[in-house]
Amino acid sequence: MKWATRAGIHVDRTACAWLIRRFIDEEAEFVFVHDPDDVPEDATPFDMRGVELSHHGESCTFETMLDRYDLDDPALEGIARIVHEADLEDERFDVPEARGLDVIVRGLSMVAESDERMLELSGPIYDGLYEHGRRTTMLGRKPR
Amino acid sequence: MTGPGDWVLLAYRLPREPSAPRLAVWRKLKRLGVAQLLDGLVALPLDSRNREQLEWVADQVVEAEGEASVWTATPAALAQERDVAAAMQAAIAEQFRAVIDQARSAEQADGRRRTLARLRRELGRIERRDYFPPPEREIACAAVEKLAAIDAEPVR
Repeated sequence: MKWATRAGIHVDRTACAWLIRRFIDEEAEFVFVHDPDDVPEDATPFDMRGVELSHHGESCTFETMLDRYDLDDPALEGIARIVHEADLEDERFDVPEARGLDVIVRGLSMVAESDERMLELSGPIYDGLYEHGRRTTMLGRKPR
Repeated sequence: MTGPGDWVLLAYRLPREPSAPRLAVWRKLKRLGVAQLLDGLVALPLDSRNREQLEWVADQVVEAEGEASVWTATPAALAQERDVAAAMQAAIAEQFRAVIDQARSAEQADGRRRTLARLRRELGRIERRDYFPPPEREIACAAVEKLAAIDAEPVR
């Protein structure tokens, strides 16, 4: 399937693309556009103004995706809290990781030559966060 | 000499009732540190984060049955930009001064560590919406870190 989002991806969009590839559509192909009008007709848009898979109320797009695709997984919910704070900074959740993730992803976007490359570089970060979250759930505490 | 920079503007109108969405939008704009140009017209220096944040606020306004549009713009005169920037800087300076006052009065008080943690968070919040750093910024950072230094001294 084809998916489209705004070019110049940061935390919410890199996290969503990772989520799509890992949990929703293994074969996902991503298109990055500068104007909403450029979204191809056969693509599902996300994290763009006025589309279903985007911010709603107080939720960021990653949270909306978990909800719309019924992804009920405590480790993903943990990532959702981090992404929410990195993206919206509204202090709804107490996750100091968010500031770190924001800086790391911002820095990566300075060295990555394209949004495709950003996905390659950021994917393993979310793989790691997911595994950390999974073990935290299993152990009932943060793994060491 | 460079001319005025680029700004991102949000023009919006929300129904008077219910008041919850109005309050939510107002809080969000305050957190972003916008310049209020007119009632229902706010501005931020243009960068991808600010543009994105105002676009989300615009969506929130529309979801609450209001009207909103986002624009990028350049002030027609440098003096006009200077006025807006000066007002934003003055507002932020005031917030840094409040931190300075609290940090200084905490120096000899109980619960210094808790105050330190709270003021560091508050500083982070202010810095995120500080687009034209006033001199008070460094003074505030130093005043807060001084609290950390007091407790770092060896205790016997």
